[in-house]
Amino acid sequence: MDTSDKQKIITLDMRGQVCPACLLVAMDALNKQKTVLKSGAKKLSILTDNREATTTIPSTANNMGYEVSVNKIDTYYEILVEGRL
Amino acid sequence: MVIGSSLLISIVCLILGLAAGFIMHRSDYCVAGMFRDAFLFKSSYMLRVLFLQVVVTMFLFEGARLSGLLAFYPFPMLGFPSLANLIGGFLFGIGMVMAGGCVVGTLYKMGAGSLASGLAFVGLVVGSGIYAEFHPWWASFIKATTFLKGSRTLPQLTNTSPTIYVAVIGAISIFFIMKWHNENMWQRASQVRGYLQPWKAAISLAVIGLVSYIMVGMPLGITTAYSKMAAMIENFFIPDHVKQVAYFQVTKALDIVHPTSGALMQGGPGAHFDTIWAIQFPLISGIVLGSMVSAILLREFAVHFKVPPVQLITAFTGGVILGMASRMAPACNVWHIMGGLPLFAMHSLIFIVGLVPGAYVGSRIVSRIILGKSSGSEEY
Repeated sequence: MDTSDKQKIITLDMRGQVCPACLLVAMDALNKQKTVLKSGAKKLSILTDNREATTTIPSTANNMGYEVSVNKIDTYYEILVEGRL
Repeated sequence: MVIGSSLLISIVCLILGLAAGFIMHRSDYCVAGMFRDAFLFKSSYMLRVLFLQVVVTMFLFEGARLSGLLAFYPFPMLGFPSLANLIGGFLFGIGMVMAGGCVVGTLYKMGAGSLASGLAFVGLVVGSGIYAEFHPWWASFIKATTFLKGSRTLPQLTNTSPTIYVAVIGAISIFFIMKWHNENMWQRASQVRGYLQPWKAAISLAVIGLVSYIMVGMPLGITTAYSKMAAMIENFFIPDHVKQVAYFQVTKALDIVHPTSGALMQGGPGAHFDTIWAIQFPLISGIVLGSMVSAILLREFAVHFKVPPVQLITAFTGGVILGMASRMAPACNVWHIMGGLPLFAMHSLIFIVGLVPGAYVGSRIVSRIILGKSSGSEEY
């Protein structure tokens, strides 16, 4: 990941956090950063070790009109949310 | 059919626990989350799944009863309805949402490496120990507020065969289950490896409950063991005090002789190795281990220590409330929802009436704590 990419990504490190922190914080960010996310200026990356979040965040973000991908990294997951192109 | 020997009981319970822990981890079967998310996110998917489990359990229990497989009907340790069920259920609802999992959810999350659930577990033991101190007062409250003495279930109260209840409620339930099936509302999209569809988990857990009922004499229940753990730890440090706590002297909360095997099944909340210990401790260990095995196989097992302290404090506090509430109710959500409700046990129905508003209050507390004081480490 180069510097320009890094600036474009908002990272929420939610590893170890309890339910429903992941979804609550993710939804909060999706609402607050709506403009930059929808325009494609930024992406939201959520790091979580909570399996539940890998199901609930994508379905919520999809409903809000975002594209979501889930990737396994080491022992946790990265949920990447971006505006639909 | 009930197994008489303690060792056999323990082996059966360990296997059932391992299976339940594995299944719950794979399907994110969090009962606390089911109620909480209905309030916080208006997401009722998992509540529907829980409904499915109750309906399947209802049919399985009734089928087993009619086939003569159930030695006890209703099962032992099922109480008469009282106001204690309502208050206990309400506190239980608050506690489970704050703890981030119910008495079983906490176990499978702890098994998968959650530090917060580990603290909630400690809270559960502490809360059970605190309850023991005020048990005499609460026991008299239960006694004073018990109504309908003599009837434990709705079929008993109305003097009707349970089959009629199962047929009527079952027919209505099947209508909704099929309706949701036609609307494709049972499948849940998931992008992670090893995901088990929750509806499959619901059916599997109903079968696990049935196996427990047939072989051990009761559906799954684990919370008395938390009192036993508290008693055993206290016994190590302050044995003289433990001798004075009336609750820990109860040795026959469970006291049954199985009619065919003649096995004596006795136990209570004190620091004794008895039938309750033989049933519940392997079940608890099994759930933790089953979930741990699932997490390790998926290469997910890891403990993260960088957790906002406020979340850890909330989880521990929730655990303490949950521990107290599960003795006050008495018994836990798994016992009531997955065991008592399918038999139309009135104390379970009242417990659930208290649980729902409790979960609502818990949801409000938790969302305020999480959004108000902490969030992930953010970089913009």
